[in-house]
Parts: sequence; C-alpha cells; structure tokens
Amino acid sequence: MSIKHLISLNARALRLALGVTLGVSALAAQAQVAVIVNSKSPTASMTADQVATIFLGKSNVLPSGAAAAATDLPDGSAVRDQFYSKVTGKQGPQVKAAWSRLVFSGKATPPKELASAAEVKKFVAANPDAIGYIEKSAVDGSVKVVLSVD
Amino acid sequence: MRIGTSVFLTPVALALITLAGAAQAQTAGDSAFSFSGFGTLGLVKSSSDTGKYALYSQPRGADTSVTGEVDSKLGLQVTARANAMFSGTVQVLTKQDGKGKFTPGLEWAFVKAQVSPNLALRLGRMGGPFFAVSDFRDVGYANTWLRPPQDVYGQVPVSHIDGADASFQTTLGSATVTAQLYGGKSSSYVTGVKIELDKVLGVNATAEFDGGVTLRFGHVNSKLTAHSTTLATIVGALRNPQLAAFSPRFAALGNELDGTDKTATFTGIGASYDQGDWLANFEYTQRRTDSYVSDTNGWYVTLGHRFGKFTPYLTLSKLKVADANAVNDIPAPTPQLAGLKGAVNLVLAGQATDQKTTGVGLRWDAYRNIAIKAQYERIQPKTQGLFLVPVNGTVVGNVNVYSIAVDTVF
Repeated sequence: MSIKHLISLNARALRLALGVTLGVSALAAQAQVAVIVNSKSPTASMTADQVATIFLGKSNVLPSGAAAAATDLPDGSAVRDQFYSKVTGKQGPQVKAAWSRLVFSGKATPPKELASAAEVKKFVAANPDAIGYIEKSAVDGSVKVVLSVD
Repeated sequence: MRIGTSVFLTPVALALITLAGAAQAQTAGDSAFSFSGFGTLGLVKSSSDTGKYALYSQPRGADTSVTGEVDSKLGLQVTARANAMFSGTVQVLTKQDGKGKFTPGLEWAFVKAQVSPNLALRLGRMGGPFFAVSDFRDVGYANTWLRPPQDVYGQVPVSHIDGADASFQTTLGSATVTAQLYGGKSSSYVTGVKIELDKVLGVNATAEFDGGVTLRFGHVNSKLTAHSTTLATIVGALRNPQLAAFSPRFAALGNELDGTDKTATFTGIGASYDQGDWLANFEYTQRRTDSYVSDTNGWYVTLGHRFGKFTPYLTLSKLKVADANAVNDIPAPTPQLAGLKGAVNLVLAGQATDQKTTGVGLRWDAYRNIAIKAQYERIQPKTQGLFLVPVNGTVVGNVNVYSIAVDTVF
C-alpha cells in the first residue's frame, strides 16, 4: 500500500470521524479539488451528496432540473482518485463496479472521459449543463466552482 | 440464434434505425456512440464425477477435471444516442449456452425513450428483471461473488424478454424509488430443450436509501411451454383413453406433467447493503408453475468486508422444492406400464433440485478494471440438486466446487 493511498484512507477516516465534508485543514498536504459548472449555470453551490449522486449515476439531474453532462478525468489520475474518495467515499474499483452495474443494465452511461483539466474546462465552458472536477489551482474565469474539497 | 427470424429481426431493425439516426446526430459534433464490454476467464473443477457442475441451463459442466466452459464469457455492448430523448443499445453475449455452444447471442437490442428525467420507455429485447442482479449477472466485475448464487439464480433459465417496459423513478424522502412494468415473451434452451415463456407480464420495484441500503420486490407472470418430445410422448401415453379404464390417475398425471401453455410465476424480495467496508446481500425467491416444472423456494445471504483491495465474502444459500406438482401414483401391473411409471420418475427426478450451499470467496481488485476471484463451495444436494446427471444417476452426494476467475470491464 502506497503512502499516498494511506494518506487518502486516513483523510477519509478523518473526514468521517469529524463528520464534515469541507474545510478540513489538516489535509493541506493534498491538492484541493474543485467541482465546476458552466459560468452561466443558475447553480451557486452543491453539496458533496448532490455531486456524488450524479457521479455515481444515481441521478442525472442537476439542481437546476436540467440533465447533467458530467465529465471525468482519465482513469488513474490522482485528482480523479481524490475526487471520488472525498466526494463519494468510494475507491476506484468500487466506483467502476457501480458504473458497470449501471452500464450493463442499460440504465446510464458514465461521465465523458476527458484527457486533462484544460479539456474539462473547455467542455464545461461550452456546455450549459456540464459538470466536472479539476485541481483547484487550474480554475479560471471560464467556469464556476460549486464545491471545493480538500 | 436462439429464436425465430421474425422475432429476431424486430429488435435489430429498431436498434439499427436508432443507430442510423445517431450517426446523423454525430455529424452535429456530439459523440453519439459508446462502446463497452465485459469478460470473464474462469476455471472450475469439482470433487464429483457423478454429477457435473453447470450454470443456468448449460449441458456441459465441471467434474474432477478443470473446465473453462462454465464461467468464461465475453459481452460487447454499444449504445447509440440519437438525441437527448432517443437511444439504442445492443449487447452481444458469448458464453456456453443451453445448447452447449459458444454461439454469440443477441442478449439485448432495444430502443429507449427518456420521456422525462423520471420516465423511460424501452422497446425491443431487454434483460428480464427477475432477480436483484438480473441485468449484470454475467458481468463478473460488477459483482462481489465469482458468480451469482445458483440456488437462487438457477431457478429461471431465461435472461431476456422481447417486449416493452416503462421505468418510473422518483425521490421519496431520502429514498430513490424505481418502479418498472414490463411485458413480452421469451425463449431459451435448457440443456437442449426449448423453453418458451409467453404473455410475460411483470413488475420490478427498488428503493435505494441513503446509507447504502437497497430494497427490492419483483413479480412476474407468464405462460410456460416446454418443447420436449420426451415429455410430450410421456404425457401422450398417460392420456391414452385405454388407460382410463385402469385408473383415472393416468390422465390426471398427464395433466399434472403437461408443459404446454401453463401458468408460471416468479416472485422475489431482496435487500442489499453497501457502505464503507461492509457489504451484504439477501434474496428470497419463489418459483411456481402448473406443470412438471417444480415449485421451488430459493434464498441466499452474502456478507463481505473490504480490506483495501481484498474483499473476502461468505455466502449461505438453499434451494428447496416446495411442490413437485405431480404425484407418480399410477398403477404398474404390466412391464409396459412399469416402463411408463419409470419414465415419469425420471422426469420428476430432474425437477428434484433441492440443495444447500456454503461458499467462501475472495475478490482481489488487482488492477483498475480487473478483479481476480477465488471461490470454494460445498454443495449438499438432497438427490441430484442442480447437478447434471446421466440417466438413472440421481444421487450425487456432497460436492466441493473450486473456482477461479479473472473479470474485466472495458
């Protein structure tokens, strides 16, 4: 088990123990992840549960009522692992198993996978119902942050 | 192909029309096609040479020599999106089928209309939602077990229906509730015998709660026909008017065994828990028919715990014959009638599937999209259980089954 994995597990345990989703400053060692939507979206902020619902395929509806166009970073990227671990409380294989249950029952298609934070930003900026996540340091004025996770 | 050409053409035509529409949408710049697939490479052996271990309706199974024919499979799926409302999905599944062949079979071919965020309609060939994990029971990666518990999943050989369904999803308090109504018909081969289900009408409801708990209820009605010449010969002999003079039981037994357009139902409840490191699954199911196919009750309970990439699990399950549906009490004063009585006994023996199973296994999430599993089961059949036995070989005894598998999704 890698150090990074241990840190990520500890972070999750700590988050659960504290019962908070945001603002755990003890985890400053890891980059922050920002959940982003189109800058014209009526949605100002979202809870981790709302975001998890979309990224685990339980619902495809944004708070605005529109059908979400969700995007993923590549399988294996550190930001992706951190996003799912923090926001959904599930590790990579659990997320993949959950999506394969949906895909192979014809119920949903997984988020569109894009190669980099720049591509995610480009997609989100161009699509009014898009939702994605990138490292917070990559956020710029083309998109709107609705949730930050440490 | 498992079904007649006319039935086959309908869903394929529908799917092709959608694919064509989606191709047009694709020129508008949106990615319209999504490809995905799943596969399992599995090896299994058992401690018994008297009964072979096989799944669902396979005519070839495992004995004391290792076979890859029971669990190995490959599924390929393509979904084409014409626009926000319409999509089409085709899934081709290759595994050992009810004829013992690895012929690629058209598992799904449906068009879907997402009428609103809450309501979806489908038309064509789709998975029959008879169990909690019906649709993805062949997707090893999606499940904790190496394969779904056969004491429950071995009761219904049919996996898809040709028809239509409507799914309604809503939020009730903290629960996401989905109700599905479906109808149509289906057919399949069970160890070489064609089984047809007509006038299929069913409901499937699930409620997913915060905290990782999911509850399920399902019920389906149908008319069952078994295209078995052996059975038809036996039933015909029992209904011979000359035998009515000996005893009214001959014709009565013929009616009890008859497998033509007979009512068959399947009902199930289920519960699952998956949160943090613990997972648990439970299903209880009842099969009922008005034919030689026995009435059965099947249940299982699974408990597992994640330790990082490793998930050990324990499954207990039982399949019980609630009613044989036929009583072989005909008199046999002559060698010919004794032969007839013996033939009836063979039919009934094949339906005496009582067995119970204790299984332990380990899932190892070895790589991003690869899970490696090992599973040991101790199966205790009352007579032959779900094992494949040669004619007149009806008692199997306790059997150990050893399996390993590599599952992937892509």
